[in-house]
Amino acid sequence: MSMKAARDTSSSSPAGGAGGSSGATVRLQNLSRSFGTVQALAGLNLDLAPGELVALLGPSGCGKTTALRIVAGFETADSGRVEVNGQDVSPVPAAKRDMGMVFQSYSLFPNMSALDNVGFGLRMRKLGAAERRSRASELLDMVGLGAQAGQYPHQLSGGQQQRVALARALAIEPRVLLLDEPLSALDAKVRLQLREQIRALQQRLGTTTLFVTHDQEEALSMADRVGVMKDGQLEQIATPHELYAHPATAFVAEFVGTMNRIPSEMLSLLGHAPAAAGDGGPDPSGGVDALVRPEALRIMASPNGNGIVTNRTFLGQLTRISVRLSGDVVVQVDQQSTEANAITPGASVEVSLLEAPVLVAERG
Amino acid sequence: MAAVVGDEMVQDAGPVPARRGNAGWLRRMPVWRWLILVIVGIYFIIPLVSAFRFTGTSAFPAVFRQEGFSSAFELSLKLAVITTVLTLVLMLPTTVYVHLRLPRLRRLMEGVTILPIVIPPVVLIVGVLQVAPGFLKSQPYLLALEYVVLAMPFAYRAFDAGLRALDLQTLVEASQSLGGGWGTTLWRVLLPNLRASLLSATVLTVALVLGEFTMASLDLYQTFPVWIVNFDQTSGPISVAASLLALVVTWLFLLAISTIGGRRSRRSGGAEVSMFSVGRRNTGGS
Repeated sequence: MSMKAARDTSSSSPAGGAGGSSGATVRLQNLSRSFGTVQALAGLNLDLAPGELVALLGPSGCGKTTALRIVAGFETADSGRVEVNGQDVSPVPAAKRDMGMVFQSYSLFPNMSALDNVGFGLRMRKLGAAERRSRASELLDMVGLGAQAGQYPHQLSGGQQQRVALARALAIEPRVLLLDEPLSALDAKVRLQLREQIRALQQRLGTTTLFVTHDQEEALSMADRVGVMKDGQLEQIATPHELYAHPATAFVAEFVGTMNRIPSEMLSLLGHAPAAAGDGGPDPSGGVDALVRPEALRIMASPNGNGIVTNRTFLGQLTRISVRLSGDVVVQVDQQSTEANAITPGASVEVSLLEAPVLVAERG
Repeated sequence: MAAVVGDEMVQDAGPVPARRGNAGWLRRMPVWRWLILVIVGIYFIIPLVSAFRFTGTSAFPAVFRQEGFSSAFELSLKLAVITTVLTLVLMLPTTVYVHLRLPRLRRLMEGVTILPIVIPPVVLIVGVLQVAPGFLKSQPYLLALEYVVLAMPFAYRAFDAGLRALDLQTLVEASQSLGGGWGTTLWRVLLPNLRASLLSATVLTVALVLGEFTMASLDLYQTFPVWIVNFDQTSGPISVAASLLALVVTWLFLLAISTIGGRRSRRSGGAEVSMFSVGRRNTGGS
């Protein structure tokens, strides 16, 4: 849908097409990009359905930000293309791509009030002053900052600034919303509130959104699908639950959530049949490890147990207990805090495995 | 001639810093600072007081009636305006470009821009006269071009300090993602946030042009400083009165520029304007 059409259909509804606009499809095809000898992207493929929020998750240097910047038009790919609604946007400059972007660092224009910041994109689109004001106010109301319209960025808190930045990006009714770690500069509580707000708003507006983050909790809680990246390629893309429960590779398994690596021959010690190559694992010539989540293990105090408690971390409802098994293998076990009270460092415990390993992987 | 531009002075902590009351500021100043201030003050004031005693009050009104005064003063003002405009138009986009696209060249730029200070004006002017096209040599505007070179170190440093205080890349990209082209980004986003640098560069350039003697004199132009020196041979007191006046006029001018700029930028929470440095007001808590 063109900007003009989008604007026309939405002019009567508050906050610019709330609930009405259908997002664009986005396709990243075989994107490659090198910086000197470093290959940031090595043939990345990714499809975003209309209205979908996809998070790109990965360690720093995995290429996720490069991918986002290529979509935004701030970087050019060495090869491959980016399509929006089936059209190649590679030759289109950033200023004409109709993509809203929220940056990691505070990006509000310091010389403009919150209202003028939000209205900036509309001004670029030659909207009249009155319409600009009213639409910018609506957007500010939508992010809960209607009362701060006249304030300048230096008068706003970090969280407020990012909300204004979000309103500013949404004001132009972008075909695609790009979020480049927008929450990473904020403190934990604000981050939590804001991620819920961003998600709610994105779903309400139905804007196709690409979200880059290194924070797995953020990715898992906000995204429809999460793509885990490694070395410039997608390692796996799936729904958050799928990713957590059925990781495709050891990298994904260990990057998302906490994971224990237990040599398969030790599984019998934990009351479980040893994992075999047939369990979906690779060639076992060098031995295989079972990947097990902390919540799949259980411990009980036992004088002749198979492990010794080395550490205990209180996490609220759960307590994470580190246990050293024979052969110096240390595993993390999540236990209800109420039950974990009696288990102190140095105690002998019996660790048992409740469910099958998430994955069997080559010994790393 | 103006002092060298200081390094940037970035205040980047926490919430907006509370302004200390004037009285508190005075009380907190230790004795040794007062001592330095007084010594430096005496050093500067004694020549001025002596000059004033030498001229007496009657010489001041006489300055305006002297032959050649108004044309020399007018020429200096004209040169100040042309030089300032040219300097800003050339140096601002250049500095922005270097910061944004060629950050590795910043060191080199710093070196290059210091050259006009290192190379003696005599050498510069001889070089310029060698290569300047004939039609320019007959015009005083050649001098403006030379002053642009002289002003470059100050303008570059003023802009450099201002740009370092901004998250330039993010601001430019934010503007572009919203549909702003290069012109718009420069005009609506960067310029207003570089107001302090702009003023600083303007102030320094104007001060430089109004006080420059060597080049103008070697180029045989009767600018205000040249006129003062020439007139000295006719009437000592009037010439000294003229230079005192020039000093006062320049000060008033600079004061006006920085007052206006400071007031405007405070309104939008912009940078502090002081004569030779740009301090950033923080842009929000994190």
